[in-house]
Amino acid sequence: MKEVVRMWQNTRMIILVALSAAIYAAFLIAFKGGIVIVPGITEVRPANVFPPIFGLLFGPAGAWGSAIGNLIGDIFGGTFGPGSIFGFFGNFALAFVPYKMWGAVFGLVSKDDMSTTTNTLKKLIAFELVTLVASAACAVIIAWYLDLTGIVPYAFLAITITVNNFAAGVVLGPILLTLLYPRVKRWGLVWTDIMDKEDVAKGFSPNLGSILMIVGALGGLVIGILVAVSAAGQQVYGFSGATQNTAVWLIVLPFLLLMIAGGFMLSGQEQFVEEEWD
Amino acid sequence: MDAELYLDYNTVIHRLDARTKILIFVYAFMVLVLFENPLWMLPIATLVVLHTALARSWRNLWRIRALLAILTVWSLILWNFFASGETHLFWIFDEQSLLFGVARTMLLLLMITSGVNLISTTRNEELVLGMIRLGLPYRVGFAISTALRLVPTTAASLQTIAQAQRSRGLDLDGGNILERMRKYVPLLIPVFITTIRSTNVFGMALESKGFGAREDRTFYLQLHITTLDRIILIGGGLFVLVSIYLKLRGYGDIPGLSRF
Repeated sequence: MKEVVRMWQNTRMIILVALSAAIYAAFLIAFKGGIVIVPGITEVRPANVFPPIFGLLFGPAGAWGSAIGNLIGDIFGGTFGPGSIFGFFGNFALAFVPYKMWGAVFGLVSKDDMSTTTNTLKKLIAFELVTLVASAACAVIIAWYLDLTGIVPYAFLAITITVNNFAAGVVLGPILLTLLYPRVKRWGLVWTDIMDKEDVAKGFSPNLGSILMIVGALGGLVIGILVAVSAAGQQVYGFSGATQNTAVWLIVLPFLLLMIAGGFMLSGQEQFVEEEWD
Repeated sequence: MDAELYLDYNTVIHRLDARTKILIFVYAFMVLVLFENPLWMLPIATLVVLHTALARSWRNLWRIRALLAILTVWSLILWNFFASGETHLFWIFDEQSLLFGVARTMLLLLMITSGVNLISTTRNEELVLGMIRLGLPYRVGFAISTALRLVPTTAASLQTIAQAQRSRGLDLDGGNILERMRKYVPLLIPVFITTIRSTNVFGMALESKGFGAREDRTFYLQLHITTLDRIILIGGGLFVLVSIYLKLRGYGDIPGLSRF
């Protein structure tokens, strides 16, 4: 995760943090209440497509930008409160996971063409996979904390956040990435064009890290919900059961640790390849 | 979207040091999560209301009244599904679970109110400088401060682009969920492009002014801790410590409440 810290030495990366945060926050605020899923509780947020896109294009700057943008969205939107703390970390993960996993998605992205766009079917599948894992990682982080503090039950929130994030990513993500990548690349703003390879974590086992990230995110989501539903009596998309159930957050905790371990094992250096663009 | 939540008054809260205001917010957060009995939350609730009155931040709370109303109704009902008590009242409501629901609702509302108080009385630059003085690295503070300044501009350009696209026949409200989401593409792309294209020029402008040339920085804006700041910080700290002590002694719970 060296690049997450090192990027702060680069002026353009800092600016990209600010600009991505501003874009994300502006859309979050403008479309608060957008397409309602559960009245008064949650809605489909088109802005949620941005963190994976920011992550893939701007790397660590996109991750910080998404985290800060969500925080600013909470402040301006009037929802700055208990959820904002882990909302910061959850949204960071929503952008961090895609760029870290992009070069380690089981051969779906060729070593010769690491460009973060969806110009082939394999890359499209890779994009959907990393977006799904990132959506689940974000959901597990936020839902675990809010269940732990007794604010919203895990089973309800985890699935809601995952669906919200993934729906935006799966529908809008490939279109946006295909259209935006060539322009961002031409401007020299793709993160691998700005940062030095030496400033990016080597990662000691990217493929294993990728597996740990998938198991941590999707396992935490599925197992957490199963435990919440069976042990704590919570219902998926329903309001019954108990929060602060020790079994739920103890079971989910190892999955969170797996995600952190996966984050350290993944690299990003493999994306530093010479590309030909006309 | 209203670009500015800061209220330009000269109240005693506005004159406090930004670090004090940030720490008041942190103190409130720490105390609010301690107790599950609404009666034990009354002292901190009183302080938050007093803070709001002194800060004159009612106007911003009024602006988010719909959100607060929804949260109140939702939270008051929701928590009765997650708790039960010995004294049944009606339907899902027991006396103890109702009290618990009131406490959780107070928690949500008071935390949001504390956040609104902080934002209403502290300019963006003061807030960021306060965070830097509390240990946040300058470069992170700069990114946050720049983002805060850019949000209104970006939101304004989003509104302009939305109006332009609507005038060309874009209907954001028709169709099923998938169709409606796809219709956001003509908004997402132009806003992204118009905002991001300035990165290189922005970077050159910053570096030409010496951004990042030296690690130690001076600031035009100066923060000063006054006697009143010290009194509030020490008093607030003691309040937090006493609250934690009382919680550890077992006070603040609801007798007869079962949380499954």
